Amino acid sequence: MKVHLKVWRQTGPDATGRLVDYTAENIAPDMSFLEMLDSVNETLIARGEDPIAFDSDCREGICGTCGVMVDGRPHGPDSCTTVCQLHMRRYNDGDTIVIEPWQALAFPLIKDLVVDRGAFDTIIQAGGYTSVNTGGAPDANAILIPKTVADEAMDAAVCIGCGACVAACKNASAALFTSAKITQLSLLPQGQAEASTRVVEMVDAMDAAGFGGCSNEGECEAVCPKGISLKHIATMNREYRKAMFANR
Amino acid sequence: MKALKALSTSVGSKYLVALTGLSLVGFLTAHLAGNLLILLGPEKFNGYGHALISNPLVIPAELGLIGLLLLHIFKALRHVLLGRTARPQAYTRKVWAGAPSRKSWGSTTMLVSGIILLVFLVSHIATLKFGADYPSAEPGVRDLYRLVVEVFHSPGIVAFYVVAMVVIGLHLRHGISSAFQSLGLMTPGWTASILAIGLWLSVILAGGFALIPVWVYLFL
Ligand code: FES
Repeated sequence: MKVHLKVWRQTGPDATGRLVDYTAENIAPDMSFLEMLDSVNETLIARGEDPIAFDSDCREGICGTCGVMVDGRPHGPDSCTTVCQLHMRRYNDGDTIVIEPWQALAFPLIKDLVVDRGAFDTIIQAGGYTSVNTGGAPDANAILIPKTVADEAMDAAVCIGCGACVAACKNASAALFTSAKITQLSLLPQGQAEASTRVVEMVDAMDAAGFGGCSNEGECEAVCPKGISLKHIATMNREYRKAMFANR
Repeated sequence: MKALKALSTSVGSKYLVALTGLSLVGFLTAHLAGNLLILLGPEKFNGYGHALISNPLVIPAELGLIGLLLLHIFKALRHVLLGRTARPQAYTRKVWAGAPSRKSWGSTTMLVSGIILLVFLVSHIATLKFGADYPSAEPGVRDLYRLVVEVFHSPGIVAFYVVAMVVIGLHLRHGISSAFQSLGLMTPGWTASILAIGLWLSVILAGGFALIPVWVYLFL
């Protein structure tokens, strides 16, 4: 099959970007979306042109490295699917697809479709950890955690940090990402030590990085490839209130 | 100091937007209940107006409402501006994500609906609170009923009020449930109920307020 692409090309952080037209020929329906881009890049390289820069690593939907806007939606049309797990059989012969990078002040563009998501690391460094000294590998069952609680913490922990939530949000807010980590740690006994400082420090880091606030629309939840729920943002807000009145 | 700092972050600011917003919804509910007395005739309505205005607490209450409104506007504007700064380069193509997103016409127009409501509020207070002071049969009691009936016999004003109430419905349709989320009260077990209550309360308030000018125009 053949698809027409409109791809955001931008040579560097300060250059002006624009959409450039390409045609991807001889695309097999079983190719992944990124394999389709690989094949376009091979043609570009053969012609001596600069290939389209984009990020990917595992290509199996678990690492969070990939991520582009596909026709105005992060990771493309399928729910709970990363763009590396999107396949060309989703498209018809002759379709036109618009591909753009995440746009956010806190995610400065490096080149074409590649952005720097280091701000997420800054948020995690601000409080997304536990400083319990575990010594050697502890016995997994030394601290008993009810199954339901463990499951809930896991639901939050599945965040792969791809940045789709920020990309989808009209305020480029990192509330879903930040809150997922806060929920995860607030549910577990190991997270209690920093319970009253973590949320404040992570929210401060989120604001300082240049992300916007949450308007409670929930576009983030709808596009999240891991289905992270908006309930975590409510948890973050609740933890924030607790921390505000905490005696410290 | 600590509390002030906490209330100035993105999360703390939305706390204040939510608290002030919900307080204003509380005021609207009481206001609607009082206004509906107009359907019971001039004595009841004017008596209610007189009782309100002669209460010594009315001035502090009014100042409190203005304070709530200003804080709501200030924090909400800051939130919008912060969001705009956070995305300097717009997408060429952007679509709504669809379910389970709560994005609605209400949620996307909060700024515009807020501005329209502010304009409405100023004109509303100017027309009614500071409108003609007709004396009623009872000495010292203002005939507010006569003024309301006069004002709402102009089709233009009735249309303006109905449109403004549609706008307030849109604003509350997102605002009420969103406030619960901002305050961290939207737990999984309550989410469906809060969304439903937010929707119905906005319909009831907007519909109830819109009914009054229409009723007066048609029947009084
Ligand atoms: S490349 Fe790892 S999630 Fe897509």
